[in-house]
Amino acid sequence: MNLNTNLKAENTYDAIVIGSGISGGWAAKELTEKGLRVLMLERGMNIEHITGYETAMKNPWDFKHAGKLTEEQKRTHPVQKRDYPYQEANEKWWVNDLECPYTEDKRFDWYRGFHVGGKSLMWGRQSYRFSDHNFEDNAKDGHGSDWPVRYAELSPWYDYAERFAGISGSKENWSTCPDGQFLPPMDLNIVEKSVKARIEEHYKRERIMMIGRVANLTVPHKGRGNCQYRNLCSRGCPFGAYFSTQSSTLPAAMATKRLTLRPYSIVNHIIYDKDTKKAKGVMVIDAETNKTMEFYAKIVFVNGSTLGSTFVLLNSTSEAHPNGLGNGSGQLGHNLMDHHFRCGASGEAEGFDDKYTYGRRANGIYVPRYQNIGNDKRDYLRGFGYQGGASRANWQDDVAELSFGADLKQKMTTPGKWSMGLGGFGEMLPYYENKVYIDKTKKDKWGQPVLAIDCEYKENEKKMRVDMMNDAAEMLEKAGMKNVKTFDNDCYPGMAIHEMGTARMGNDPKTSVLNKWNQMHEVNNVFVTDGSCMPSIACQNPSLTFMALTARACDYAVKELKKKNI
Amino acid sequence: MHRREALKNVAFLLGGAISASTMGVLFESFTLPENEKNFVLYSLEDEKIFAEFADIIVPTTKSSAGAKAAGLGKFIPMMMKDCYPATMQTSFAQGFKDLQAKSMKDFGKSYITLTPADRKKLMIDLRAIALAQKASKSEENKDLAYFFITARDLTLLGYYSSEIGCTKAREYVLIPGRYDGNVPLKPGQKSWAT
Repeated sequence: MNLNTNLKAENTYDAIVIGSGISGGWAAKELTEKGLRVLMLERGMNIEHITGYETAMKNPWDFKHAGKLTEEQKRTHPVQKRDYPYQEANEKWWVNDLECPYTEDKRFDWYRGFHVGGKSLMWGRQSYRFSDHNFEDNAKDGHGSDWPVRYAELSPWYDYAERFAGISGSKENWSTCPDGQFLPPMDLNIVEKSVKARIEEHYKRERIMMIGRVANLTVPHKGRGNCQYRNLCSRGCPFGAYFSTQSSTLPAAMATKRLTLRPYSIVNHIIYDKDTKKAKGVMVIDAETNKTMEFYAKIVFVNGSTLGSTFVLLNSTSEAHPNGLGNGSGQLGHNLMDHHFRCGASGEAEGFDDKYTYGRRANGIYVPRYQNIGNDKRDYLRGFGYQGGASRANWQDDVAELSFGADLKQKMTTPGKWSMGLGGFGEMLPYYENKVYIDKTKKDKWGQPVLAIDCEYKENEKKMRVDMMNDAAEMLEKAGMKNVKTFDNDCYPGMAIHEMGTARMGNDPKTSVLNKWNQMHEVNNVFVTDGSCMPSIACQNPSLTFMALTARACDYAVKELKKKNI
Repeated sequence: MHRREALKNVAFLLGGAISASTMGVLFESFTLPENEKNFVLYSLEDEKIFAEFADIIVPTTKSSAGAKAAGLGKFIPMMMKDCYPATMQTSFAQGFKDLQAKSMKDFGKSYITLTPADRKKLMIDLRAIALAQKASKSEENKDLAYFFITARDLTLLGYYSSEIGCTKAREYVLIPGRYDGNVPLKPGQKSWAT
């Protein structure tokens, strides 16, 4: 290819960051703050902080379809429509599935948002540290590869990430879910307080319940406003009250004047230089014009979301890397995991009829993992936590079936019963055979081949789900709830939107893709710090761990650059 | 992510008041094959009928105006056209015709000229027909039952997300600014709209 040298110089940066979501935003912030000139590539459109949140201040009646999807939206979003995140209020932020198909060898619900900020705009914001139990589980029970990192090493980076992002929560001194640098916790409501007290008393604090640790500010923080209790986070927050690329890492990176952000830039592959044995840059397809172009840098951070990054790496083939960049181990694309959830129990709380709530708290309760810890032994490995909460619904108890008229109207406008629900979030083991690979029989809108996904839950997860229901029911009963019912609404991988593991870290280059610094064993100027790096997924929501790992990897990468080791 | 939010939204908005088929279409994003195009259109006259029909489901009461004032006459056919698969639209449209035929048969008058009292009588019949048809699953009155159930569901959905429904029938605050999980319930307090 003949590039004029000026163009080549113009297209050369110190670092390229692929992706602008949670981990990409962190990489851009850290690398620019450490003095690097960074190009952040985002495959989708730009969304400006505040002004880009078009529906954030809308009332329920400002939406044409009362929040529901049209037939046309269902036609163009056959995957996104499968569950609740795709909705009228933020429908622009979810991909048109027809433009970017994938192959489901088994059902896998792949939720994607192609825009600046990625899923950091729509995420659930629950933020929990992993503990040493989690970092040691692989080594102890032999599933997956041993984590090359332990809690003590990551703990200061969790501190660092929490201090910047702003995580509200309570300190609990609980071994499977370590405390952190928290802003003041949100309040439990009156029913949740009662349930917490009764559970902790009954189980002698071998099980605890706390307010969710959440990336929503309870006090103003670093120029961002505190949560207004609207519970409309997934439309974008005009107060900047939850952590997103737009509210937090992007302004920090921009402030250095060393960041270039290029939307509509689909990274097709990483360009490998066989002489230097390094990546020299990336090949990009402009999503609007379909033109291709190249950008160059000393280091490349891959933060395109777990499966997005894995596609880029698998698609980066060369003579030296015929099966994908840095894939000598053969592990790239394998060990795909997601949390399994959508099962638990709920019950009615009596005795609180004279109590109600004010405000819409965008957070619930959390019961951290207590299974397979200490004396608690189960017939499966690992464990689960619970998320849930209590709320008071509208009256519906003695509404006659298909009734109508003034009586129905009266009941539907009267506060009804309190109920409390607990929904399990379970760890899935890493299985080599749960994998993704490139399917060349299909093409996306931009002419690229697509991913095929072959992933399923297995016996360990199925056994765990029984306990996820029964333990919840037992705890609710011990907490005095009435009419307790269990539920299992079925779960398929992808639904938790916590897909991870397809470019795992490890100490051994023969069995892992990345080393303990999220650096490719085989290509030392490429770092992968999104969910694909995870050797196991614990049962906690993972994004906080991506933030900590990214900040740590950036620190290492810049030090190595300065030492001229990469 | 937040399953809890989704469950709560569904539960809060509609509770147990809505039918399973509407839950399927609106919440579980049920779709029929894409070659089944939407085609049923409704006139301004039809919209007046929907408005009166909906106003029997959610009438004006002391606290607040009813479904007609909340714009349900336009909302119901718009939702049908935009959000429902063709076979369901066809059944709904047939049921809508059956409603008008029943009005002529029972009262000798078109639906729009019925008194509110007669419309209420008709609605009591419709409810009985729908309950019986649900139980028997017979072909008889299938469309009329589907129409009643769906129009009722859309009335509740539309009314309680309308400005009148949110701010007059229920109580609504755009920006609460704080959370209090232990507020004494005042006598006669309305429930929150969201």
